[in-house]
Amino acid sequence: MKPLVPTAEMTLGPFFPREFAAGANDLAAGAQGEPIEITGRVVQADGRALDNVVLEIWQADAEGRFDNPAFCGWGRAATNSDGFYLFRTIKPGAVQGRAPHINFLILYSGLMRQLQTVMFFDQSPDPALENLKERSERLVAKKEGANRYRFDIRLRGEGETPFFDD
Amino acid sequence: MAYIVPRRDARTQSEGVVEGYAQTAQRWPAQPLARRAQGLSELTGPRLSSRLKATGANLAGHGAGRALGQLIDLRVSIVDEDGAPVPGAMVEIWHCNAAGKYIHPNDSNDAPADPNFYGAARLLADDAGRMVLRTVKPGAYPVPDTDGWWRPPHIHFSVWGRVWLSRLVTQMFFPGEPLNERDPILNAVRDPQARGRCIARFVPAAGNALVCEYDLVVRGRNAAAELP
Repeated sequence: MKPLVPTAEMTLGPFFPREFAAGANDLAAGAQGEPIEITGRVVQADGRALDNVVLEIWQADAEGRFDNPAFCGWGRAATNSDGFYLFRTIKPGAVQGRAPHINFLILYSGLMRQLQTVMFFDQSPDPALENLKERSERLVAKKEGANRYRFDIRLRGEGETPFFDD
Repeated sequence: MAYIVPRRDARTQSEGVVEGYAQTAQRWPAQPLARRAQGLSELTGPRLSSRLKATGANLAGHGAGRALGQLIDLRVSIVDEDGAPVPGAMVEIWHCNAAGKYIHPNDSNDAPADPNFYGAARLLADDAGRMVLRTVKPGAYPVPDTDGWWRPPHIHFSVWGRVWLSRLVTQMFFPGEPLNERDPILNAVRDPQARGRCIARFVPAAGNALVCEYDLVVRGRNAAAELP
């Protein structure tokens, strides 16, 4: 059978219900592993911070597993009017062949479809970084205290976050 | 048998900076998107039922009375690129009321709210990848700070397929709406057939609600389907 064509993705628009993101940004509750906070600011080309950007994450558990029934590995946050988001989660372990990482999906008005990027904890080599050269530094979160990481996202313009095409 | 997510096709999937939609020029990355291999991290996905709670399936009876507007029963099916149903798929649906007003506090449109309407639902598909939502047909509304852009009536969908890369966020349109012809979002899909599949079908049915059918195809298929 000829494969079906996927439904065209379209922009999230500006009115994604706030309640859909409420409470979904805490993956750490009851989870085994090192609790961490990830925060960052989402800005557009002219530097303006963006309100109600939806970010979703997908990550392995502390052992690098994606099939742990006790740890869902998925979360969602929406930026506030200052452009900031916050996740509480646990530090993921290394998945086979990969450095520890957290997948980020970004949805917003003005984005005709989802954007995908990845947050890393240090400069460890990773196959996803091979095509990015010096831009790969942009995907390493900045440590801000013992258990807190800062991962800013610039959609477009100087210092733009690298995004992946899949 | 491995599950794969084939690359997007520019004819059937819009991206980038779109004429008539100014925010795209501020927000879509200027740098080309980077290629990467797909592995376990991209080709697994969450079991969401432990994280997100389903809601009721009637947006038109939120208050004491019935919501204003034309009742619709929206019959949705979710399949992947093999045409295989996605049983238990989670779907979020949101749209404005019949006057064109969202429940969101950021909506500055001066159209009235409707106390009997609530424009957000989260549903789980049945074992055949199907679900039904009772709601009202949304109105059209003007987009602020534009030169006369009105959004045609549309319903927003957020859908999870089988894996992380199958995530689908889209909008469904209604047949026969003149505003469909000039909507920069719908018309950014270049292929006319793909665009047509973003428009619901009215199905004749008895009762007090218009029945609309809509098929959602999430990305991904079994690698074996590629073999000759």
